Amino acid sequence: MDLIIGQILPYTAAVVFIGGVTWRIWRWMIPRIVHNITLSPWPASWSAAIVWILWQFATFWNLLKFDRPLWAGAWFMHIALFLMLGGHIAAFYTVGLQFHLMAPGIITPEMSLALSDWIGTVLGLIFLVALLYLLGRRLVNEQVRNISSASDFLHLFLLIGIAALGNIMRLFPDYHLGYAPVREYLAGLFLFNPQPLPDHTLFIMKYTLVMTLMIVFPFSKLMHSFGFFWERWIVNRPYKEPARGLPGARLQLRK
Amino acid sequence: MSEATGLRQPKKASADLFRKLGVEPVPDNEKVQEAIRHLDDFRFRVRSFVMAMESCVKCGACAEACHTYLGTRDPNNIPAGRVDLIRKAYKRYFTVQGQLFPGLVGAQDLDLETIEKWYSYFYQCSECRRCAHVCPFGIDTAEVTFIARQILYWLGIAPQLHAATAEAILRTGNHMGLTKAGIEDTLEFLAEEIEEDYDGLKVEFPVDKPNSDILYVPSSADFMLNPNTLKGAAMFFKYVGANWTISSEITEAGNFGYLSDQSRIQREMVTRLFREATKLGVKKIVWGECGHGWRAAKMYPPTVSDLPGVKRIPITHIHDEVEAYIKAGRLELDPKRNDRKVTLHDPCNYARACGHSDNMRVIMNAVVPKGAFVEMKPSREANFCCGGGSGILFDDPDMYQFRILASNKKAEQVRETGADTLCAPCSICKAQLYPMVKEHKLPVEVVGLIDLVGHALVFRD
Ligand code: HEM
Ligand code: SF4
Ligand code: SF4
Repeated sequence: MDLIIGQILPYTAAVVFIGGVTWRIWRWMIPRIVHNITLSPWPASWSAAIVWILWQFATFWNLLKFDRPLWAGAWFMHIALFLMLGGHIAAFYTVGLQFHLMAPGIITPEMSLALSDWIGTVLGLIFLVALLYLLGRRLVNEQVRNISSASDFLHLFLLIGIAALGNIMRLFPDYHLGYAPVREYLAGLFLFNPQPLPDHTLFIMKYTLVMTLMIVFPFSKLMHSFGFFWERWIVNRPYKEPARGLPGARLQLRK
Repeated sequence: MSEATGLRQPKKASADLFRKLGVEPVPDNEKVQEAIRHLDDFRFRVRSFVMAMESCVKCGACAEACHTYLGTRDPNNIPAGRVDLIRKAYKRYFTVQGQLFPGLVGAQDLDLETIEKWYSYFYQCSECRRCAHVCPFGIDTAEVTFIARQILYWLGIAPQLHAATAEAILRTGNHMGLTKAGIEDTLEFLAEEIEEDYDGLKVEFPVDKPNSDILYVPSSADFMLNPNTLKGAAMFFKYVGANWTISSEITEAGNFGYLSDQSRIQREMVTRLFREATKLGVKKIVWGECGHGWRAAKMYPPTVSDLPGVKRIPITHIHDEVEAYIKAGRLELDPKRNDRKVTLHDPCNYARACGHSDNMRVIMNAVVPKGAFVEMKPSREANFCCGGGSGILFDDPDMYQFRILASNKKAEQVRETGADTLCAPCSICKAQLYPMVKEHKLPVEVVGLIDLVGHALVFRD
């Protein structure tokens, strides 16, 4: 058990995730962008194009403009997700002292821990609520249900499972685990110096789901996180207009 | 509905017609295999196709964006649903998950029935790109439609309308099959009309004139349906004193090849264009009012042709040139002559593919009185398609009814403006909007934009 879930699965998941994503992107790079199919009004330059793409990325602008109810679920879900991903790395690496290390003069270690707890809890709840909302939408909205397949629901269930377990561990002191034991275990993985899995059922369950997600990721629509940039690179690019004016005409643009 | 398939399908071109186009129709028992082979080919060649296949999250934001879904409420007309008709097979044959767990990820073997569905639904898509405009990732269903139609064409499946038009292109260089004599005849007649209507104004329509500076490429449909657009262009060229000509070898701003056979007919048009432009020694090509054709002429030549002329002879749209002259203050226009309440239908290809939202408005505001121009909602790049885009102008009763359904949204938009004139500067839009206006009982006249320019130009001397 410890060997399979604690030692073999993590390396497998990491290899499948990194290898799979690389392979998918590699394959995207083989076909060419054959014609300039930019969407007009197009950006005036490559830098304007990049700004536009990042703006779309940060705000989910199109959803905000054309599908407000979807935006409300999707944007909060993704923002919570991105912040929590960052938060997990920072908090486990520094054992919750990340804010103290950022501003040592102002924030004490205790404050940092409290802040980390508080932000994590709020984000975790937003994430879960937003996911449930997206699931509800997928079930209730006929158009969306029509174009969904089983996997579309499974991804949501997987994330909801992860979010729910995380929230239980946060909110119910009986099930709390804390950063330190996890850090010790993860450090073992990173340094190839095996440490036992923390003896904590909920943690092991959540951890297994996360590794499942990593394995599924390259073979699923979750690749849209990278696909976003590859697709927009095709449809948001500059175009240079030819000069105006009719050669040989009696009346010229400039007298 | 088609008797055989129970699907909404336009009349198919005959095998004989396909043979004339150099395509031997694939027998039914080989179609599936052949289609998979083509899909396999495309996924190594066209990235926009691969990204549409692989990055959709099925969020459904595109559903209400598509006028065909709004008009029919058919889930296969949801852009993501339409793409799924191909994506299911793509997943089945080309992805790990689709090979291992087809049921789970919505992968399906390809069969003849699905190919018939392709024919139905990819000829209901008007390649308007409104879904690309709305999708959070910018997934462009039109890119998938292009490929679906190309594969169908190679299998020997295309609408009679598209195949017959392709045949006319190979024969005459234009969609309507106009001959040089017919072209000259019509133009002579139009010159006389102008002389009568505008106080004896003498306007020439040169055809195949050697040593011209400008090659004007009108839509062949203008010769039959929209003569005022031709007149407007000639009056503009007369006004600025351009040394211009029309070529009887390429009297066609449209490009039906782009809409069904990009591999050959689209290229044929580009080749003809630059061959003629080179022969006539022109310094610039100016395009007439046609949306898809303008996109094909503006955005595609550098990547579909390696003829040297493509890099040396610039192409602009007549709207671009009129706009520049207006901005330079070089045209005297009398807006009072167009004293009507007019709204503008942004042709999809202008607004979402060619960057024309501004120039049309500069022109419009210069040629109608202040306050006479009312915007539709939404407009510009968010505008809805007329319902006829990509040449789905079928007359068989079932498809005609579809055209009217697909224009529901447009009709609603036009009605809300309360306009009496609907300006639609694109041949396909015009051909679609004439019946749309009739069936939806809209009290508007459909006109082109250059028509209004010609009418407002003040000639002195
Ligand atoms: C490049 C950044 C990303 C963008 C722009 C983006 C955008 C979107 C959009 C617009 C949706 C549609 C919402 C919906 O279907 O309900 C969506 C769904 C989803 N995204 Fe992302 N996403 C990004 C990154 C990610 C990442 C990194 C993950 C990681 C797991 C992720 C997980 C999901 C999931 C699970 C859904 C499905 C929600 C559902 O089925 O309802 N996204 N994303
Ligand atoms: S809006 Fe884009 S991502 Fe969403 S379902 Fe439509 S094509 Fe797919
Ligand atoms: S291109 Fe236009 S008609 Fe085709 S799916 Fe997209 S919105 Fe619908």
